[in-house]
Amino acid sequence: MSAQLTLQAPLELPPADLTAYLEQLWSGHLAGSTGAATFTLVVWDPAWLEQQLIRSGRHDGPITGLLTPELLEAARTSVAALDLPPSTAPMDPALAWHLGQLPGDHKADDLRGRFVASAISAQMPRRLITVAPTLAADHPLETMVAAYCPLPDEGGAGAACGDVVVLRGGMGSLRQALALIEPLVAPELPCWVWWNSSLDEPPEMLEALAPIPRRLVIDTSLGQPRRCLDVLLAHIEAGQAVNDLNWLRLRSWRESLAMVFDPPARRPALNHVVQLDIDVEGHHLVKGLLLAAWMADRLGWHLLNSSSVADDGNGVGVSAEFQRTDGVAVRFRLMPVPVGVAKTHPGAILGLRLICNPADQPPLCVIFCSESGGCMRLESGGMAAMELAEEVVPLPQESEEMEMARLLAGGHDSTNPLLAAAAPIAARLLPG
Amino acid sequence: MTSILTNPLRVGLRQERVITPQCLVIFGASGDLTHRKLIPALFELFRQRRLPSEFAILGCARRPWSDTEFRDRMQEALKAEINEHLQAWEQFSQGLFYEPVDLQQTDHMVRLALRLETIDRLRATRGNRTFYLSVSPEFYGSGCKALASAGLLADPERSRIVIEKPFGRDYGSAQNLNRIVQSCAKESQVFRIDHYLGKETVQNILVMRFANTIFEPIWNRNYIANVQITAAETVGVEERAGYYESAGALRDMVQNHLTQILALTAMEPPGRFDPEAIRNEKAKVLQAAHLADENDAWKCCVRGQYGPGGTSSHPLSGYRQEPGVNPNSTTETYVAMKVFINNWRWQGVPFYLRTGKRLPKRLSEVVLTFRRAPVHLFDAAGGAPTPNQLILRIQPDEGAEIKFEVKAPGSGMRSRPVDMAFNYDDSFGEPSDEGYVRLLADAMLGDPTLFTRSDEVEAAWRLYTPLLALIEEAPWQLPVHPYEARTWGPAAADSLLADDGLSWRRP
Repeated sequence: MSAQLTLQAPLELPPADLTAYLEQLWSGHLAGSTGAATFTLVVWDPAWLEQQLIRSGRHDGPITGLLTPELLEAARTSVAALDLPPSTAPMDPALAWHLGQLPGDHKADDLRGRFVASAISAQMPRRLITVAPTLAADHPLETMVAAYCPLPDEGGAGAACGDVVVLRGGMGSLRQALALIEPLVAPELPCWVWWNSSLDEPPEMLEALAPIPRRLVIDTSLGQPRRCLDVLLAHIEAGQAVNDLNWLRLRSWRESLAMVFDPPARRPALNHVVQLDIDVEGHHLVKGLLLAAWMADRLGWHLLNSSSVADDGNGVGVSAEFQRTDGVAVRFRLMPVPVGVAKTHPGAILGLRLICNPADQPPLCVIFCSESGGCMRLESGGMAAMELAEEVVPLPQESEEMEMARLLAGGHDSTNPLLAAAAPIAARLLPG
Repeated sequence: MTSILTNPLRVGLRQERVITPQCLVIFGASGDLTHRKLIPALFELFRQRRLPSEFAILGCARRPWSDTEFRDRMQEALKAEINEHLQAWEQFSQGLFYEPVDLQQTDHMVRLALRLETIDRLRATRGNRTFYLSVSPEFYGSGCKALASAGLLADPERSRIVIEKPFGRDYGSAQNLNRIVQSCAKESQVFRIDHYLGKETVQNILVMRFANTIFEPIWNRNYIANVQITAAETVGVEERAGYYESAGALRDMVQNHLTQILALTAMEPPGRFDPEAIRNEKAKVLQAAHLADENDAWKCCVRGQYGPGGTSSHPLSGYRQEPGVNPNSTTETYVAMKVFINNWRWQGVPFYLRTGKRLPKRLSEVVLTFRRAPVHLFDAAGGAPTPNQLILRIQPDEGAEIKFEVKAPGSGMRSRPVDMAFNYDDSFGEPSDEGYVRLLADAMLGDPTLFTRSDEVEAAWRLYTPLLALIEEAPWQLPVHPYEARTWGPAAADSLLADDGLSWRRP
């Protein structure tokens, strides 16, 4: 899925003229466009990593806001060059922060908002609003607008047009520009807000961009785990439709686990789980917590206690105890594991072990390993007498933009019930 | 501790393909199909979160109902299903609307177009529409014309039309209907439903054949001796006498359902899993199919009609005694026939098709019988080794079974047949979606893989044209043999295979 460029360079307008210009556009060129009745997508798109890589001379411009293979390669090279732990994922906000400490003043064109993934443009958004903070905090506000008619990859009709609005500037000027966004969002149409950045960033910006009933898309792999889970939970509890890309990346793990217990003969073993172990890459635990929380919710486990646990200097994990519906304890351990080459996002799951101990049958041990690596740690230790179900879990095939497009294509105005049920458990599982 | 009945880890995971925002317009919304099949299927999709929030259903029929009345009627009809999911129904029913429409009235269509625009604004359905013609077949053509005249099919990317069976009564009428439909919409907009294709196990024929390497090398005339396709029903004509009298088993079951199974069983591998690639291969194999004796079609076909039967405690009426049936009816409730496929893969392999009402069991299956081993090295428990069989069970007990010879225990070297079985329930343990759930979802997703294309429909009708002509012009050559209810059809059907040294599988 290649990214598309808007057909015309966005026209720079004074902020005060923005609304009037767009109204004129829709009453003229875009009158009758089917894009009129779709949705608005607001993207918070700081692209800190890309901006810092370019500024420090480690990546060529322009700034696009897209996660290209070249950008990821530059990020991985920088992890080694900055002497960061190899488990540091390219998207780890810590990498951008470390890059920010380096000298350099390389410049590049800033085309954020002009590149649109074709998977997203195929959904024909009525309006794409990109909020693009710059590294320079005192950068003045620039407002740009363009009509936009996506050309489908496979040709065919392209009569559904919309418009693109870009608000670019330093954080100070963007705070002042927030008032511009409200009148740009058509109240009668769904509005999605994609927080395409770390959740550690100033909360007032997130809250201002994504009031209810706007549908929020976040990524709980980006930011401090406690902060990520708190944001997720707060928005769910407020009744907002929240989509978490980190949760969506768990799809293949949930599916693989469900598959093991599809045969009815296996299902009674789910009543007899005694131990659950999950290994994650690096130090980010949220994905592992969400997976465990999903299982706990589905199997009716009650969380008794949770504490931090250190292991061999690899980092701090979580040890917890659940209680099954029949009162028996389930031990849970989530451990960070160092890896040589990290996946794109922090905290990818490396392996899972589930041990079930039915009274009148041999114990069952389920071991899942990520496609990209081994899980020797989970395969060791006293399972010879158990029935073993071992699978390799495929890596997600889809890009962030594809996931976004999937959400936009058939979205909901409520949070996925599985995520809504798992989030509070995950938040309680994380100690402190 | 009670055992877990459903897989708790499976709940909520069926969200693989999400339907885009749209309005589904059901014509004939006051009819049976809407409350028996369509609305339950849509409610199921809603509960699986496969419908987006920006979704609406607009029921259309002549009756002057309001939105509220339509919602109430649907709620009443689905009472049993809704009771456990009241909150979900509450949300779902907010997207239910009704518009009194007579497809033949131009001003009604203008009003419909305006209503759809209102719904687009109200529900943000983005101008995407799927029109479902659940009306009497004689209105399929005029319904399409009315939609086209109102400009509602103008955008091929955003509008689709779903047409229920039967699509025509014979080759000529199917051709005419295709001409009309194609003058109103592009083929890519047209979704002709055959609800058999919505069955998981029918789709599994494709997966069994083309996802495994063990079957395809032997799936041809070199290894397969014959193929039997059976669709047996235990029920009689029930409340469908009016329709059934003019259709009969040939039109009701063979031309569509059995022929689709025949096509999936016999088609060549498609180059890729793509709707057009699959439908091309299905059309090609149907174009290569012909009755075993086209000049004397009566020689390769047997018609039957069930008579009274059952037991003294549960007597069953004969077809002619059923309410609404002509006491002298010659409509067939059973049909068996022999078909060949003239291509490299299947030359000389007979395909036997049979279907009937009031048979002893309800089942659908495909049985591929392999050629006998060239040399008998061992004594067989049954006298001669039983030929290997692959049985694809479509319903009930969905699954597959292979019959092969093994050594019987003991000191000798005698062989005897055994079964190796795969059963959907044992492996997956979840009831699969009702066919309409899958087909409605596919139509709204714009995926035509499981819908029949114009050339497939025409090829299917053309295949049976000699029989239909015979029934029409010289029915005495193709008499209706009576058979006792709850038996496996008339004796003449057994003779059809006995002449080839074969017999029907008794499932």
